[in-house]
Amino acid sequence: MNALLRLLSIPALIMSRLPGLAPVIRALSTSVGQKLLMAVSGLSLVGFLVVHLAGNLQLFAGEDVFNAYAEKLHSLGPILGIAETGLFAMFALHIGLALSTASMNRLARRTAYDVRESKQGLSVLPSGGASSWMMVTGCVIFVFLTSHILDMKLKMGPGVDYTAALDAAGEATNSFAAVKAVLSHPPHAALYLAGLFALGIHLSHGISSALQTLGLNHRNWNWLFRTAGVVTAWTIAVGFMSVVFWALNQS
Amino acid sequence: MSSDKLNLTLRVWRQSGPEDHGGFQTYKLSGVSTHMSFLEMLDVLNEKLIAEGEEPVAFDHDCREGICGMCSLMINGQAHGPDRGTTTCQLHMRRFTDGQTITIEPWRAVPFPVVRDLVVNRSAFDRVIQSGGYVSVNTGNAPDGNCIPVPSSTQETAMDAAACIGCGACVAACKNASAMLFVSAKVSQLATLPQGKAERSQRVVNMVAAMDREGFGSCTNTSECEAACPAEVSVSHIARLNREYSKAILFSDT
Ligand code: HEM
Ligand code: SF4
Ligand code: FES
Repeated sequence: MNALLRLLSIPALIMSRLPGLAPVIRALSTSVGQKLLMAVSGLSLVGFLVVHLAGNLQLFAGEDVFNAYAEKLHSLGPILGIAETGLFAMFALHIGLALSTASMNRLARRTAYDVRESKQGLSVLPSGGASSWMMVTGCVIFVFLTSHILDMKLKMGPGVDYTAALDAAGEATNSFAAVKAVLSHPPHAALYLAGLFALGIHLSHGISSALQTLGLNHRNWNWLFRTAGVVTAWTIAVGFMSVVFWALNQS
Repeated sequence: MSSDKLNLTLRVWRQSGPEDHGGFQTYKLSGVSTHMSFLEMLDVLNEKLIAEGEEPVAFDHDCREGICGMCSLMINGQAHGPDRGTTTCQLHMRRFTDGQTITIEPWRAVPFPVVRDLVVNRSAFDRVIQSGGYVSVNTGNAPDGNCIPVPSSTQETAMDAAACIGCGACVAACKNASAMLFVSAKVSQLATLPQGKAERSQRVVNMVAAMDREGFGSCTNTSECEAACPAEVSVSHIARLNREYSKAILFSDT
C-alpha cells in the first residue's frame, strides 16, 4: 500500500517541480483539493455522457440520420482530436485521483473494526449505500470503457462480425452497422448492460456528491440536488441501455 | 419492562500498551441496572475485575454529562452506541436487552493510536486546532453588546458548528477515517463570525494541511459522520469548508 501510494504521487511530484505550477499543485493536491478535481472531472464526464447519449439516440431515427451525424462528427477533424484528448485526460485525472484518495483513505485506518453498524439505517448496502460502491462500480465502468473503445473506435471487438459495416475499400466506416454488429453479439450486450448498470449506481452517488464537494449545499435545496442527481444518473444509464435493447431486437 | 436488571456478555478490546497487539476478552456481567449509564456499567465491571485481582479496563471520560468529548467508545459497531445525538456517557443501559452481547472497541484510525485498552490518543485534533482554530489578530477590547451586529441566523450557524466537542466520533464512524466534519466545524464556526473573517483564508488552508499531515482520510460524502456526531454537526459545514478552501486558493492573496 505504501509503495503504491508513493508510486501514485510521482506525477504530482514531477509537476510540483515545474516552475510556476508549484502553488497550484500544492493547493490541489490536499485531500480537499483532490476532491474538488474529482468533482470537476466527474461532472465533465457526465457532461460528455449527456452529449454522447444525445448522439446515440439518433440511432432510432434510422441508418441515414445516424450515419450523417457520425459523418459530421468525423469531419470536425482536428477539433474532434482535441476534444478526444481532453476527454481522455479527464478520465485519466478522475481515475488517478480515485486511486490516490482511496489509498489515502485506506492508509488512515489500518485496524478494522470487529463489528460495524451504520447509524443511517442503510441495511441493504453497507454504510453509505452507493457511496460504498464507487470503487467497484468505477472498475466495472473502466472494463466496459476499454471494451467500448476497442469495439466502436478501433472496430476490433473480439468475436464481432463487422462485415455489414465495411465499405468498398474494406474499411468499417458504416457506424450504424458497426453499432448493430457489436450490440447484437450477446457477450458484448451483456457487458454493456453491466457497465451501464454500474454507471447508474456510480452516478446516483457521484453527481450529488460532486455538488456537495463543490460547496453546493443549502437546507432548502438539498432534497432537490439529491433527487436531481439520482434522476440524471438513471436517465443516462437507462437511456444508453435502451440502445442496447434496441440493437438486440434488430437482429 | 419485564425487569430492570440485565445479564450481559461484554466483548472488550484489551491492549496493554501502544506496542501490544491486543485482542478481545469476554466478561459476563450480571444484575446490571437499566438505570445505569454505559460508563457506570464499565465502572461496575472494573470493580469486579479489581476484586478478582485483574487489571481494570482503561477507558476515557471526564465530565460524564455530554460536554467534554472525552468518552469515546465504539459500541456494537456504532460510535457512542446506538442513539443519535448522544455521547457514550449519556447512553443508558435501558437501550440494551437482557442476555445481549456488547462488543466494545476503541476508535480505529491511524491518527488516533491506542494508548491502552479503549483509550486512544487524540492529540492529532489538538495539532489541527493549533494550525488555525483560533483568532490571532488584535480585535481590541470586548466591544459593547450589539456594536458588531451579527444576524441571528448567522449566530445560529456558528453556534451549530461550535457545538462540536472534539470527541472524534466522526473520524471513528467514517469508512475513510476522515476528520472532515471536525475540521469543517472549526472552520465554519470562525468563518461565519466577524472576528474570525480576517484570517479565514490562511486558516482553512493551514487547517486542511494539518489535517492531511496527521494522516486522516478524505471525504466521500457518505454522511456517516453526521449520523454519528453526538453534537449533530451537519455535513453542510463540510460544504462550507470546501467553499472556504476554493475561495482561499482561487481568490486570496495569502
Ligand atoms: C463515465 C465514467 C465516469 C463518470 C461520469 C464518473 C463520475 C463521477 C462523479 C460525478 C463523481 C463524484 C465526484 C466527487 O464528489 O468526488 C465520481 C466519484 C468517483 N469516481 Fe467516478 N466517474 C466515472 C468513471 C469512474 C471510473 C472508471 C472510476 C474508477 C476506476 C471511478 C471512480 C470514482 C471514485 C472512487 C469516486 C469517489 C467516490 C466518492 O466520492 O465517494 N469513476 N465519479
Ligand atoms: S464533529 Fe461531532 S463527532 Fe466530530 S469531533 Fe465534533 S462533536 Fe465529535
Ligand atoms: S465524558 Fe464528557 S462527553 Fe462523555
